[in-house]
Amino acid sequence: MFRTHVNNQFSAYCHEELSAGETRKVAEHLIGCTRCRKEFEEVKLGIKLAEQLPLVSAPDSLWQEVEMLLDQDGHPVNERRSWSGISFLIQPRFAIPAFAVLMGVAFIIALSLRDRSEGTRLTGASWDVSRLDGAPQIGSISVNDKGKLGIGQWLETDANSRAQIEVGNIGQVEIDPGTRVRLVETKPTEHRLELARGRLSARISAPPRLFFVDTPSAVAEDLGCAYTLEVNDQGDSLLRVTLGWVSLHLRDRESVVPAGAACATRPGLGPGTPYFEDSSEMFRKALTKLDFEPNDPSWSRTPTLDLVLNEARPRDTFTLWHLLSRVNGSDRARVYGRMAALVPPPEGVTRDGVLRLDQNMLNLWREKIDSECDSVNSVPAVVRDVLGRTRSGIHRRL
Amino acid sequence: MLEQMAKPQEQRVQQSVDEHVIRACQQGDREAFRQLFEVYKDRVFSIAAYSLGDETAAADVTQQIFLKLMTRINQFRGDSEFTTWLYRLVVNSCHDERRKQRRFFPLIESGAMPGTDKRHSQEKRYARREVAGSIREAIGHLKPKMRQPILLKYIEGLSYEEIAGVLGCSKGTVASRLNRAHKVLAKRLGHLRQNFLSE
Repeated sequence: MFRTHVNNQFSAYCHEELSAGETRKVAEHLIGCTRCRKEFEEVKLGIKLAEQLPLVSAPDSLWQEVEMLLDQDGHPVNERRSWSGISFLIQPRFAIPAFAVLMGVAFIIALSLRDRSEGTRLTGASWDVSRLDGAPQIGSISVNDKGKLGIGQWLETDANSRAQIEVGNIGQVEIDPGTRVRLVETKPTEHRLELARGRLSARISAPPRLFFVDTPSAVAEDLGCAYTLEVNDQGDSLLRVTLGWVSLHLRDRESVVPAGAACATRPGLGPGTPYFEDSSEMFRKALTKLDFEPNDPSWSRTPTLDLVLNEARPRDTFTLWHLLSRVNGSDRARVYGRMAALVPPPEGVTRDGVLRLDQNMLNLWREKIDSECDSVNSVPAVVRDVLGRTRSGIHRRL
Repeated sequence: MLEQMAKPQEQRVQQSVDEHVIRACQQGDREAFRQLFEVYKDRVFSIAAYSLGDETAAADVTQQIFLKLMTRINQFRGDSEFTTWLYRLVVNSCHDERRKQRRFFPLIESGAMPGTDKRHSQEKRYARREVAGSIREAIGHLKPKMRQPILLKYIEGLSYEEIAGVLGCSKGTVASRLNRAHKVLAKRLGHLRQNFLSE
């Protein structure tokens, strides 16, 4: 089918200069068109660069020169007249009422300042918030049906409250009970929330890498998707993807999680190995031990890895692929052996190459896994791009 | 001369005083004119400096612009945004000056960035200055048709419609020129990509 490219609209799209319909059209096109997405990344970089454009200060002497020329040219000026036009207020008959008005204004300003939550930084940008249940709060103010979440402000729900946030014009985030989130940034090239605790469900219709959620243990980066993300009081988080793909990363460690899969994270360690939610319980428990309890003396690494390998189905080669770079030496050879038994490597991919984590070979194998297993049956090009840069799921080089 | 990073949104807040100031300027109030000058001087000067590639010429043009502004402010009837009116004056003045110059002077590196943010280490400040210098140079090399909307967008924070009003073209043309300019900047400054990756 003929498809009209949208590459001439990227700047307007990023600057939110398009109508809702046009915005949706561009976003949908970008998700499916590699060529436009590549160009979009360039425009986004150009915007980020231009945003750093330094303002050059005028010379200090400029005003004196202008004023001198004004005087020389005899321009009509009236220095006595005050532009603010408030000089009449000092007349006795106006002084008392004016003072009362000023005090009233000062009182209102003081009240409004008191209502602002501590430590918030408000700027012009904000997101619309709708109350879904109970009494969600922005700062210390309850949201009555509708509210605005400014940059730096916290939105908090108690055990009986829920709320929905409109993420610019790219999607919605539903905030479950017992959740605390903060709007960190919203601009054409980046929308970012911080999830301190609780759970949110995001549905984003936008090109990849526009929407981010910071948690205490990783950053969730949208690759065109719907997902839930929850954080407990210890800062551990769990991502469950229902549509599309999400990347989780902390420093140089990254996991790319498709629909139907989940991934846990831990503070200081970052994302664990992603897994399909229909994998066996034993598989998932053993994987958790490998990922997050490497120094626990109560279990032995070798049998735990055996458990993961034995329980793995062809669909779980997706998980084993991520594991390859997270284990060393003989363990990596064992992971390779099991993967090869489940989904034999394609032509050109050798055992030696995989064991030394040759990126091209890993990518080739990954493509075969994705196409053969119904695990990841339609990998959009955007995710292939990301996977290509995700060295075996461990190094982040976006 | 000091430099600071452009913050269009904050600048827009300043514009809220304009209506009163403009009215007072029209009545010949020197203090009001000073107020107007203070609000716009850096942005007018920045646009002139980037357009002309020469800070001395930019200072002269800025001076002329404010003189013209003072003599013509009674002609402003409020039918359009004051900023549209002002920046049309700026763009036209720069255009006239460029024609006089008939050659391009690269913008000279003009001293250190302000050391206002004590939290930044020397190293970070240096890196930031390097990035700003590269961006400034790349902007200076853009064709005028691409540079003008970039300056109006990022120095002044105008909308596409406002930029179209200043440049006397359609909103679509503005979008197209900005798109091309962004791509040129990305191509020329691709080596800075890692400075802008999301953490």
